[in-house]
Amino acid sequence: MESGAETQKKPDFKETSDYFKHLSQFWTDMTYLISNKPSSLTSAGPMRKLTMQTKKISNEIIDANEDLIEFNTRLTEYYKQLSDTWNEAQKRFNTKVPEIPNDIEHIESSKRVWIDIFENSFTQLFDSEKFGENFGKLITSELELSKHWNNMLTVLLESANVPTKNDLNEVYKELHSLRKRVGKLEKNEKKSGVEHNGK
Amino acid sequence: MENELRIDPILIEEFLKFNKNLIEAPKMVPAIDEINLEMTPYDVAYSEDKMRLLHFNSSIQKQNKIPIVIVYALINRYHILDIHPQKSWIKNLLNQGFDVYLIDWGSPTNIDKYMGFDDYVNGYIDNCVDFVCDEADVEKVTLQGYCTGGTLATVYSALHPNKVKNLIATAPVIDGKKDTTVVGNLAKHMDVDKMVETIGNMPPEFMYYVFSVLKPFEQGLEKYIHFFKNIHDKNYVDNFLRVEKWLNDTPSIPGELFRQWIKDIYQDNLLIQDKMYVGGKMVSLKNITMPIFIQVAVGDHLVSPECSMPLYYAIGSEDKTLRIYPTGHVGMIASSFSQKKVLTELGQWLSERSK
Repeated sequence: MESGAETQKKPDFKETSDYFKHLSQFWTDMTYLISNKPSSLTSAGPMRKLTMQTKKISNEIIDANEDLIEFNTRLTEYYKQLSDTWNEAQKRFNTKVPEIPNDIEHIESSKRVWIDIFENSFTQLFDSEKFGENFGKLITSELELSKHWNNMLTVLLESANVPTKNDLNEVYKELHSLRKRVGKLEKNEKKSGVEHNGK
Repeated sequence: MENELRIDPILIEEFLKFNKNLIEAPKMVPAIDEINLEMTPYDVAYSEDKMRLLHFNSSIQKQNKIPIVIVYALINRYHILDIHPQKSWIKNLLNQGFDVYLIDWGSPTNIDKYMGFDDYVNGYIDNCVDFVCDEADVEKVTLQGYCTGGTLATVYSALHPNKVKNLIATAPVIDGKKDTTVVGNLAKHMDVDKMVETIGNMPPEFMYYVFSVLKPFEQGLEKYIHFFKNIHDKNYVDNFLRVEKWLNDTPSIPGELFRQWIKDIYQDNLLIQDKMYVGGKMVSLKNITMPIFIQVAVGDHLVSPECSMPLYYAIGSEDKTLRIYPTGHVGMIASSFSQKKVLTELGQWLSERSK
């Protein structure tokens, strides 16, 4: 027979976060619908756009919290790997150099031993599959957080009628394609000039 | 007394001397920003966007008709090839009677984020080679690439073999799967699409992180202790600060170029399998039939010899040489050893093929 404590459901973060997301969306939509007519009469322009898009910001914040958990998990694992390696290396050093020397020659040589042991241990860690995998996921989760920040910033920039990152990317892409086309034209022109002079 | 603490007097003397050096250091040593890394004079022969083609001036009579175009790496700036008068790769080649050009990629910004392999290889490098051929009145050049520049030079030579007389690949990144370095391990686990989509260009901070995990105790701690111990040795201090300044000048890498680099070379390992596409054309290493000189370093912790050496077996050249040196990634190009051994052998090989 299962005890009461065992049958009790563990709190699920995803479920809670989804609930708050829904709650936030529901009330933002309702507030918007209720205040739509009066605010339409009194407000127009960028600030109105911001009011309409506040929902996006609250959604980004809720989603960012989920990614923050992944980021913290990866960061904790990252520091755990570093501290475990440090402790292991220190143990190996203690076995090799049980007493702290107090003359310059022995200090120099034990320093060399310390550096070699630590260098080898950490290089082994950085070369390992488990480090590479966790580090890759740590960077990905950090990038996810940056993405939420970018999205929130986009809402604010749009409300102020300032070009967003996406707008700039369009310009960069267009410039890149233009540069390429000009380069090709210049090359073709040079080629035909050489052929013409050759004739 | 039995438990009395006895410390070697020399140890106390060393400790006091070290502290004295710490206090004196700012009076004796210039700040990093005050150091000028420009050594051998040059003219900017050609430029396009942020890229510059540098033509180095020499007072020595040119003894070799074919000019050398050096394709510098995408990481850090070209100054390491001309870091110190006694350790300068460029000056050494000039003194051996070669005409030397170098491609400086500059510092890409957000506007360059869509630049890819095609722009670098079929655009910048090809335009530089055409320019040098016109200026020197030759049909082909000698192309030398260092590190990631070695990969770009290799890809260029495979796509434009009719414009390359000789190829020199110095620590090139070729077989990503066989790379045993920390760089390779991090690259294989990276979500590069997300990085490019979110940040755009590969930021310098990421490269600084990669540098910090390469020999963290030797390079991150020991070398600075050594620096303060040798603060009175002018030559050592000058060389140390120059290299430090070079190490801390890392430009961004254009997003698209970085994406293709990580995916095609490290993650999918397409280059060595002749499956990589640049500008819509397949890069076949078998198209490299010109004389080739490959240089690798046994102690290279950025590009392992296992990653560079497969190039020797993959190319179509009959005239091919592979040299393995007992040094490191930077030691191969900027050290007394490189002056005495690496450049002497290279000069000899090249002068026989540059008339």
